[in-house]
Order: sequence, then structure tokens, then C-alpha cells
Amino acid sequence: MKRSKRFEVLENRPIHEDGFVKEWPEVGMIAMDSPNDPIPSVRIENGKIVEMDGKERKDFDMIDSFIADYSINLDNAERVAKMDSVLIARKICDINITRDEILDISLSMTPAKMNEVVCKMSALEIMMGLAKMRARISPSNQAHVTNLKDNPAQLAADAAEGSLRGFDEEETTVGISRYAPMNAISILIGSQTGRPGVLTQCSVEEATELGMGMRGFTTYAETVSVYGTEQVFMDGDDTPFSKAFLASCYASRGLKMRFTSGTGSEVQMGFAEGKSMLYLEARCVFITKGAGSQGIQNGSVSCCGVPAAVPSGIKAMGAENLFSTLLDLECASSNDQSFTHSDLRRSTRTMMQFMPGTDFICSGYSSVPNYDNMFAGGNWDAEDFDDWLVIQRDLKIDGGLKPVREENVIKIRNKAAKAIQATFKGLGLPAITDEEVEAATYSHGSKDMPKRNVNADLKAIEEMMESDTSAVDIIKALYNGGFKDVADAVFNMQKQKVAGDYLQTAAILTKDFHVVSAVNAPNDYQGPQTGYQISDERWNEMKDIPWAVNPEDY
Amino acid sequence: MDQEQITKEIVEEVMKAMMQEKASANKVVTKAETSNTSTNRIDSTSYPLSEKIPEKVYSRTGKKLSEIKLEDVMNGKLKSEDLRVSPETMEMQAQVAESIKRETLAGNLRRAAELIDVPDKRLLEIYNALRPYRSSKQELIDIANELDNKYNCTTCSALVRDAANVYEQRDRLRQD
Amino acid sequence: MAMDKEKLRSIISEVLSELDIDEKTINTTSSSPVITSKTADSNTLKLTDTGDATPGTITDEVVIGITPAFGVYQTETIIGIPHASVLREIMAGIEEEGVKCRVIRVYRTADVAFTGHDAAKLSGSGIAIGIQSKGTSVIHQKDLTPLANLELFPQAPIIDLPTYRQIGKNAAQYAKGESPDPVPVKNDQMARPKYQAISALLHNKEAEHQDLKKKPQAVKVEYI
Repeated sequence: MKRSKRFEVLENRPIHEDGFVKEWPEVGMIAMDSPNDPIPSVRIENGKIVEMDGKERKDFDMIDSFIADYSINLDNAERVAKMDSVLIARKICDINITRDEILDISLSMTPAKMNEVVCKMSALEIMMGLAKMRARISPSNQAHVTNLKDNPAQLAADAAEGSLRGFDEEETTVGISRYAPMNAISILIGSQTGRPGVLTQCSVEEATELGMGMRGFTTYAETVSVYGTEQVFMDGDDTPFSKAFLASCYASRGLKMRFTSGTGSEVQMGFAEGKSMLYLEARCVFITKGAGSQGIQNGSVSCCGVPAAVPSGIKAMGAENLFSTLLDLECASSNDQSFTHSDLRRSTRTMMQFMPGTDFICSGYSSVPNYDNMFAGGNWDAEDFDDWLVIQRDLKIDGGLKPVREENVIKIRNKAAKAIQATFKGLGLPAITDEEVEAATYSHGSKDMPKRNVNADLKAIEEMMESDTSAVDIIKALYNGGFKDVADAVFNMQKQKVAGDYLQTAAILTKDFHVVSAVNAPNDYQGPQTGYQISDERWNEMKDIPWAVNPEDY
Repeated sequence: MDQEQITKEIVEEVMKAMMQEKASANKVVTKAETSNTSTNRIDSTSYPLSEKIPEKVYSRTGKKLSEIKLEDVMNGKLKSEDLRVSPETMEMQAQVAESIKRETLAGNLRRAAELIDVPDKRLLEIYNALRPYRSSKQELIDIANELDNKYNCTTCSALVRDAANVYEQRDRLRQD
Repeated sequence: MAMDKEKLRSIISEVLSELDIDEKTINTTSSSPVITSKTADSNTLKLTDTGDATPGTITDEVVIGITPAFGVYQTETIIGIPHASVLREIMAGIEEEGVKCRVIRVYRTADVAFTGHDAAKLSGSGIAIGIQSKGTSVIHQKDLTPLANLELFPQAPIIDLPTYRQIGKNAAQYAKGESPDPVPVKNDQMARPKYQAISALLHNKEAEHQDLKKKPQAVKVEYI
């Protein structure tokens, strides 16, 4: 066939680099409305659920048992099961119905009921639901801070810059898993240098992550993963019960924690039992609720390439965020991982959370260039900072970031690199050289950084973890190294664990360590001029992009 | 006001009263509450505790929140153990959550209050023992008994017992 | 809904009989060796199960754990590298360190971490490599929790043959009690958009051959 020049052009567009597949419902390669999704039902006898979503109790798998016994408010359950799903869907996007009225219904739903209700809603209606049902009144944003070399000076500098740019939480992970404690310490110090009160975490294997939290290297945790089928849960090396226990372990040490799940993980891991990705995600969100977690990160997260490859997959990601809010959970709404080569597509995907606002729009936003993003690439990265600022300014929507001046960024990066240098010295970890400090101050990514002796680092980390090194040692190292203000901030982060205020739903901290959560700042959106309103001060900050020209200059 | 509206309001009122009764009935059994009977129940208006009622917040080691200062970390008066939450404070946080209908979060915070005294190492071991295929049924029952008898963790032990039964039914116990 | 017992019984027995047929097909096919994967110089890989894998008795060995479909139902990685070449490079990497290697096939899971960990538990040195049909690999150690690792290579689309050889070499060095420099970490942020859905398809096809009850099998490796 003689080729059409237009088709040749189209085939060379970035979108054609993406993988797309047709639906395969038998294995669950379908985003929403699988023919195998159960019909909602519930039957209660003697205060116990004996039938749920078409299954008798004797046929329950481990997840059904857990949800039936721990996750559903039984008071309204039978009434809600009989309610028309379309009617509930309409109430969710009706500004005249309050958030509390919806919760009275949604907290008594079964997973299949919630799935059915949300499947009746359009993408726009899902956004309307999110605007009303979000837990905290103000939206916020989270950053990823990682690099290919696990370089501590660069991690600290990037964390400091991220804090300065407005992120309220920062998350790191590793290239080499044994680096975890060093990475956690690096972003803890960097974040507190940039802006006191920023929460930090290090995403690694569950028991390791808890161990770091106990030592005070992290101030919250997020990678507490749950799954929607029993077999996949087993491959994730956990059960709903072990995860519920883990949730309590974190809280017992005064650490904020949220669960993680997302559409596509079950089919990605080979056992979706023919159910839609969205229905299985409903089960995950119910497990999260039953375990008593204050919140969840969902929106497909690291599996986003799977739902994104099938029809309505991006809509499903918005729908699962709505599930979380319908169960009164904090929602960190993903928008984190790369899923497309197309700039059009990646910004469209984010609009479902950016427009209504979520507790954390990205979880997180790659604050480093994508080649350094060790979550295998972000949907947004450091090279998109200015685009994000302009989109906020264009739409007058608070996406959590603020314009910054180059000189301030250089200054804060340098300070953070020096603070981590002093900390390493105090803790007896392999030295951070002045050359590394200099490189980290001006670097864009790890390509600009000198190499470290990886084996020496790993050996020192092993020794540190065999001793009882904790945040108290870090505070002392900072203080004695001349960084009293950073020491004070790290100290105040540890002090949060005594009062436990930030264990409540959707909590973040201001620079003065004042807690803002869905308890003292609950979302009360009910249409125009209600809910979160951008203050004049904030709007002036958002407007002020340094590269806009001044009319007076012409 | 029409008939339907009135009926709705009456039902709501009765249900609200019933919920409160149920909540306070549940309360009696928790350890932190019984050791804390002199304190009145609090709700979301006392939140954040660190700002609204700091005088009632103590660390696990009995240090007043206002007495926890950076200089005492530096002069060695404050140790890691002093930077930890107490069961009583955790119970107050549970009451805050409960007052705004976050019952499962309150339940988690109460389990957490129980676990404060379980050492780090043992806590990690118990978590690992609850993972799939790690423990026999008897081993899980032994853990539940230990939580009960040694640490007085009654809610947590109930969770472990429930897990033991479900793991047995689902064939997820240790298979040698 | 009214449904009489007879009808229910007939439905159940029908379902059961269908299941039975499925199991038989799986069992008969998986017990015989299948020869399919060829290296670039067209040496054919033949993998034969030879009975339950046993714990290693020598300390200078690395066990390679392969997933249920490896080299049999699937014969190349997600980017088309033949399993025959992958296995040969890993084994060569191990052997050039003067360490012995043995291959086992794990059936109870198709997950790379558990496969690697099961293999590590059978390894005389406690060190093993786990590899999935799509190419994802891990270096594991028996005392770690299953989802921890010594080195993980999560992005199958960017693992090439020199990397597989290096994985073998490093595993052998861990087995000797050395601390090798970890294989340099690679990262391709555009691998997921291109390959993740395909990866899910491949994994589902691999998982079809999983058998929860079957013990790890010793595997005879031949190039013919």
C-alpha cells in the first residue's frame, strides 16, 4: 500500500510510543465494568454480615472476611444496599448535599456498591465529587526526592529545594536497597533546612521502613501496600491482618502513616480473578478503612501503565481517588509515575485531581529530573516546575507550589549540603567532600555529581544499623556542626510524635509546627464561595512568576 | 415541616443516641481508658492537643510537653525514649477521632496505645509472624497470649486470634 | 431467588468437571520438557525437571530460580532476548568467579522476589538469583525477608546480556563472602509507558502455569 503522509506523521508522534492493549476481561485486563464484577448485596444476621456482594460468608476469601468484619458501618448497611445507585451518584455531585450526609451513606456501602455508584458518574462528576469529599479543606502536594547514585548531598539539596518550592511532604526511595537509612536521613535534614515542618518518608520493604521510623529517620510512612485479591496480597507478602497490625505499630511510635494501593496491581501481578481493576481497588480502599489507616495513596500509582493501556483507565484513576474520599480517608492521589510519552496525555491525566484538588495532588511530583527518579520516572519532573507554576496561575488553582528565586534556591541547596556534611561527620559516616557540596549546590541531577565509594557507604550503613543510632544523634550532630536551626527543626519533628496530633486524618505541618488536618481544617465545600478559597496573599505569591515582564518596563 | 421530614429527624436523633451509647459501651474495655478514668472525655474541640490542652499531654516517660526542649537533648537530659507518645495521649487522640465518626481510626489508635510498651524488636517480629506462611496456628495463638498476658494488649490479641482462624481457613499458615 | 438442590448439584458438578479437565491439561504439559529457546548462535536450550530440588550441601554455589513458564511456555524476555542466552550469561558470570551453579524451577509463585527467596533457601551459600520469563531479576539472600533483596533489577526492558552476566558474577561474589560493587543501577523513565501493559499480559500468561502445591524442581540444563 502506498503510505499516507499524514498517517506517517501521526505514527511518529510520541503517543505511538505508548503501549495500548484491548480489553481482556477474563484475566481482569479491564479498567471498569467487568462482566465478572459482583452485584452489590448485603445481609446481616445477629450483628454480623453473613452475605456480601453475592457471596455467602462460608465462601468468603480472606479479604471478604476482613472487610465484612472490620470495614463497613453496619447501622445503615442494609438500607444503603437497597438505595438506587444512580440516586446516590447524583447526591455525591450535588452541592446541596453535605459531605457528612454522603458519609452517612458511603460508610455503610459494600465494595461492589461503591463501585456500582461511582461507575454511574462521568469524569466531570467524579471531579465534582472529589471537590466536596476531599478530607482537608486545603489541597497540598508531595515530592519525590531520589537519585540514580543515591548521593546524600544531592538528596539533601533537592529535599531543601523541594521544601522551598512548597511541597508539604517528601518521599525518597533507593537505587540500591541497602542505602535506605542514609537516604532517609539525607532528605530529613534537607527538608528541614528548606522549610521546617515538611514530613518525610523512605519507601522500601515494610519491616525496614518501620525500623527506620522507630529510629526517627522518617516522620511518616506511605508504602503500606494492600491488594484487591487474596493471591496478590500473598505475593505482596502480607495479609489484611498483618497490615492492620502494622498500621498500629506505626501509630504506637507516633508516626503518621497511610496505605497504598491502585488499579492494575492485581492484573499486573497475574491474579485479578477476572474482576475490573476498579472493583478490586474498591476492596483495597475498604481494607484500608477497616485497618484504621487515616489515609491512602491511590490512583494506580506504580501500575498506571496498565489501566492507562485500556479504555477508561484514566477515568478509573479519578474514580478510585473518589472511593478514598467517600470512606473519609486522606487521599494522596498518585499522579506520580510516568505512564505516557505524550505531554498532552500526561497533563490531561492530572486534571482529574488538579481541578478539584486532593489532599496531595501528586504523591509525589518528581522534584528531580526524570533520569534520577527511582520510582522509574515521574509524570511530572523538575523540568516541568515552571509549567506547573503557569498552569496554577492560568486557572487560579492552588497546586501547592510557589515561584522561587534562583539565588534563594542556590543558597538553600548549599546550606542543606553542608548540613548533611556536618551530620555525616558527627555520625561517623563516610565523609561528604567539599567537592560534593559544591556540586550538589549547583547540580540539576546526579550526572553533575562526583562518584562516591558505594561499598564504604554500605558498610557504614550496616554498622550504623547495628548500633542504636537515632534522630537524637542526628540532632546532636547538626547542633554541634553549627546548624542549630536545622537541629531545632529535626527536634520539633520528633516532638510531634509525643502529642500525636499529626496522626489524625490528612495532617500536614506549617513552618511553625502547627498541625492542619481534617479535624481542625475539614473540607466544607458546598458550591461557589465555600470550601478552600485562595487568600490574597497566596494569590499574589502564585501570580509572581519571575519571568513575566513588567508593563512599566515598556 | 412535612410528615416525612419529622420521621427522618426522629430516626436520626434516636440513631445518634444509640451510636453514642454503643461507643461509650465499647470504651469501658480499653486499657488506657480505665487507667485514665479521672480525665473527662475529649472531642475535636480540644484538637490540636499540643495547642489546646498542652498541660494534659505527657510523653511516655512522664515528661510534660512544655518541658521537652532542644537544650535538654543536647545536655543529655532527654533521650530517645522521652520523644515517644504515652498511652493516655493516644487515648485522647482516639477520642478526638471518635467524636467525628472516625471509629476505625480510633480503633487503630487504641491498638497503638496498647503496643507502646512492646519493645521495637518484638513488635517487628510479631508483624513478620503475621505475614502469610510464617506461623503455625499455635504460634499465632501463643503470640496472642503473650500480647494478652505480658503486655495487656487485649484488642491486638483479638486481631491476632482472628487472623489465626482466617489463615487456617484459607490455608495461609506455615507449610513445612 | 428459588433454586432447587438438583439444579445446584448439576451446576456444581459441571463446574468441577471443567476444572478437572483444566488441571489435567496443565499437569500433562508441565511434566514433560519442552525445547524451544535458542541462543543467537542457535544452540537450543533444553530444560528438564528431574524431581524435587534439595537443599545445597556445598557453600560455594549459587542457585538460579526460574519461574514456571521460563524457557518453556515463554522463551524470550520482554525485549526479545532468548532465555537460552540469558541463562548462559548468568551461568557464565557465576562460573568465571569459580563458583558452582544449579538451576531450580519454582512453581508455587511467579513473583520474582519469592522465586529468588525460595531459591536462596535451597542454596548452600544462601545466595540465589531469581528470574522471571519477562526478564525481571533479583539477587537474593536466604536470611532477608522475601521482598527485601541484595540487588534488584526491576525494569526488564533495560536488562541486556552483559548485565545478566554481571548479575551472575556479583551473586557468585556474595556467595564467596565478598562485597562486590552493586551492578550499576539503570533507570528508564519511559520503559513503563511502553512496556507495563505488555508486562502484565506476559505475567498473566506465566501465572497460568503456577502451581501452589508443587515443590521447587531441580532442573537439568542442556544446550543441544
